[in-house]
Amino acid sequence: MNFSLRQIFLVTAFFSASSAFAASSALPAYERVVLSNGAEVLLMEKHDVPLIAVSASVRGGSLADATGQEGTASLLSQLLQKGAGKRDAKTFAETVDGAGGNFNTGSSFSALQVSAEFLSRDADLMLELTSDALERPTLDAAEFEKARTLAVQSQAAAKDGDPRGLIGDYGYAYLFKGHPYGRPSDGDETTLKKLTLANLKNYYRDQVGGDRLIIAVVGDFKSTEMKAKIEKSFGSWRKAAGTLPTVAAKPKETGRRVLLVDKPGATQTYFWLANVGVNRADSERPSQTLVNTVFGGRFTSMLNTELRIKSGLSYGANSRLERQEQAGPVTISSYTRTDATVQAVDLAIATLDRLHKDGISAEMTESAKNYVLGQFPPTLETGPQMAAKLNELALYHLNRDEVDNYSANIRSATPEQLAKAVEVYPNNADLVIVLIGDASKIREAVKKFGPITEMKISEPRFSP
Amino acid sequence: MKLRLLSAILCAALTATPAFAADSITTVPGADKITTKTLPNGLKIVVWSDHDIPNVALYNWYKVGSRNEYAGITGISHFFEHMMFNGTSKRKPGEFDRVMEANGGANNAYTSSDVTVYQDWFPRTALDLIFDLEGDRMANLDFDPKVVESERGVVYSERRSSVDNSNFGALIEQIDATAFTAHPYQIPTVGWPSDIEGWKVDDLKTYYHTYYAPNNAVMFVVGDVEPQEIFTLAEKYLGKTPAQAAPRPITTKEPEQQGERRVNLVREAESPLLVFAHHSISGSDADAPATELLMAILADGDSSRLHQQLVEQQQIVLDVGQSLNLGFDPGLSYLYVTLPPGGDLAKVEKALDAELQKIATGGVTDAELNKARTQKLADFWRGMATISGKAQELGSYEVFQGDYKKLFDAPAAYQKVSTADLKRIAGKLFRRENRTVGTLVPMTK
Repeated sequence: MNFSLRQIFLVTAFFSASSAFAASSALPAYERVVLSNGAEVLLMEKHDVPLIAVSASVRGGSLADATGQEGTASLLSQLLQKGAGKRDAKTFAETVDGAGGNFNTGSSFSALQVSAEFLSRDADLMLELTSDALERPTLDAAEFEKARTLAVQSQAAAKDGDPRGLIGDYGYAYLFKGHPYGRPSDGDETTLKKLTLANLKNYYRDQVGGDRLIIAVVGDFKSTEMKAKIEKSFGSWRKAAGTLPTVAAKPKETGRRVLLVDKPGATQTYFWLANVGVNRADSERPSQTLVNTVFGGRFTSMLNTELRIKSGLSYGANSRLERQEQAGPVTISSYTRTDATVQAVDLAIATLDRLHKDGISAEMTESAKNYVLGQFPPTLETGPQMAAKLNELALYHLNRDEVDNYSANIRSATPEQLAKAVEVYPNNADLVIVLIGDASKIREAVKKFGPITEMKISEPRFSP
Repeated sequence: MKLRLLSAILCAALTATPAFAADSITTVPGADKITTKTLPNGLKIVVWSDHDIPNVALYNWYKVGSRNEYAGITGISHFFEHMMFNGTSKRKPGEFDRVMEANGGANNAYTSSDVTVYQDWFPRTALDLIFDLEGDRMANLDFDPKVVESERGVVYSERRSSVDNSNFGALIEQIDATAFTAHPYQIPTVGWPSDIEGWKVDDLKTYYHTYYAPNNAVMFVVGDVEPQEIFTLAEKYLGKTPAQAAPRPITTKEPEQQGERRVNLVREAESPLLVFAHHSISGSDADAPATELLMAILADGDSSRLHQQLVEQQQIVLDVGQSLNLGFDPGLSYLYVTLPPGGDLAKVEKALDAELQKIATGGVTDAELNKARTQKLADFWRGMATISGKAQELGSYEVFQGDYKKLFDAPAAYQKVSTADLKRIAGKLFRRENRTVGTLVPMTK
């Protein structure tokens, strides 16, 4: 249990496509089939280990949650494996564990998701469980009550954990207030408490069906056989009865506003500075990835150099471009001891100013290009990684070109493109700021960052 | 009994898809080509060529961790891990990372009670540079007092995140300090606060010369490489660093615990926590595979005993988990649960205790044992799916079990375990007098 890391750096989160050394890392061959009900199927054989992975998405996601019923898609996704087909919840779990499988369900703004990995000898079982969960969930009343109670209690319990895992929830709610991305994707304690099984069943009827399905299978199988099995499992699934939710882009914010989340007794302040950034399909993604690498996407980035390496103020600092169908947040985040709060936030803002003033040097550009290309191949090394990638490309209406051309696009990114990508990051005058810390110790000092709204971490929601 | 179970697994293997023949379900392609060499200075190098992606994972294991510390210098192994990136007599602080990243590489490192492991992930084009960097920091580390002070702040920040501001981290730290009265596994790897504030540059220098010697390390290189080129690079960049006298062995043995111990924390919290920690075994113990299976049956997956009993049926906890420390010396096995806000700790403790007594007296079923074995077999293959997984697994078996080849015997070792083994081990492990109970109670608001 005694374990300490030099750095917790979510390297893979910063870039998810490119090709390091020319053709050798382009996407391997895969087959795309559209079934008669509209389901999109992606099949890639991969024989290095006797495993098979599936990644399935059903378009819709939490954007389709009714107002006041936030958490519907999320809770439904959990319920999909609590009894499906001929198995009750316990038998379903025993079947997964008995085969040594992984079987996960979840939801995002734009999709319900099922992902699994089994030994390839259990490929048929994996498909059966996946299709049962998606097409034949029991949606049992007792299991619903249990899952709902657990979800409410888990949200409360999460407030005791590392605030790094929470600050984004407050950030989305505050930055996107009044916009669909500002609604809690997993619900909050107040909305979860009110949800009924009927809400979930209505959602299932309207937002889940074969026309919404994307299913990618990668691993040790034969495509011809797998195609027939998928057709049999998913080809006759009914269509969703409702309409697909849409979302408009939120304009960038101007000015400053600050949310202070009071965590009494906290010895550190966690901070998150953001504005509206870029979307998933942005054609300038390669140059944006390079700028983010230099600014806050690797250990020697500008932010980590200032806040960790040179000053020792923090264990880590980073920037992120969180891409959704529409623009998600562009963020700077870090944390420091309570009495250094103002110093650290000032330093983060000064580093942002330097990015805008100095831009990206030729030497730094070359370094970032090598880094992004060198670190790419391990992000598509396994079946689950590859299946998730194929699924993601389809979900956002992209194709293999994004990966196949990424290496060339990274290599050829021009100074003009990088300068344009720098403008994705907000100016210091336009920042939406979230702080989690001991308000009694920092309340006065952080007033300098902008008008403050305050809430307690124990409140049962993420927005004031 | 064993034969019947073995044949069941073989039958299952026969249904494997054509790409993997029946006899290959535990045969890893390329494993027979792993090559090793020990340099004259004692550095052992293990190379596994895997040309799936044009990258390399290099893991350098030093046999030093918080187990080698004592009062006054706790946390120094972990602090040292940070200093290994902060400059040599040839390279200024920061240059290691800057040069590595500029050439497409990334790195990390971790410290446990037993070992410190340095990890480099890089394109094969950076091979020469990486060996240059590794050789430099093994031979020429420098200690700039200013950098030491700055890094002290970084480590303190890490402690605040992982212990001070995490209820679970804080509770585990107290449990370790309570369960071990003599053995240095009582020391938190990140270090006690006053020691983090107190390390001296001279402490670091002594540590470096004692533990960062080629004869105290094993290097694993997996990926798009050939063994001979690695051995040539190793000789060029690491071969001249002299061996040192073997470090002082850790000989203290924890006396047998003679009665339940308890530790209670009262903190700002929404949820109470409960942890049972039992004195267990070392990584090289013959019972290690069986103990892993026992812990998996109790708490791995939604069908596990504790999840079914406490989360699904009684609905008195939010989640359960387990962790088994298999290091150089006998460590702890942990079972932990998170209660809902307002949850009844006494009731949960009674229910958890009842489950342990049940498994200790009644043992497990064949079906449960088979399930746990299959989970281990699938996990084995997940470990073999990446070059970094391979480097980690090879290192773990080489360092803690004395031979990386035992990795490939692991599926067979799990097959040999019987239900009688599990009952015997559960009876020995889950005695109340062998237990430290940790509770975290939310402060009254």
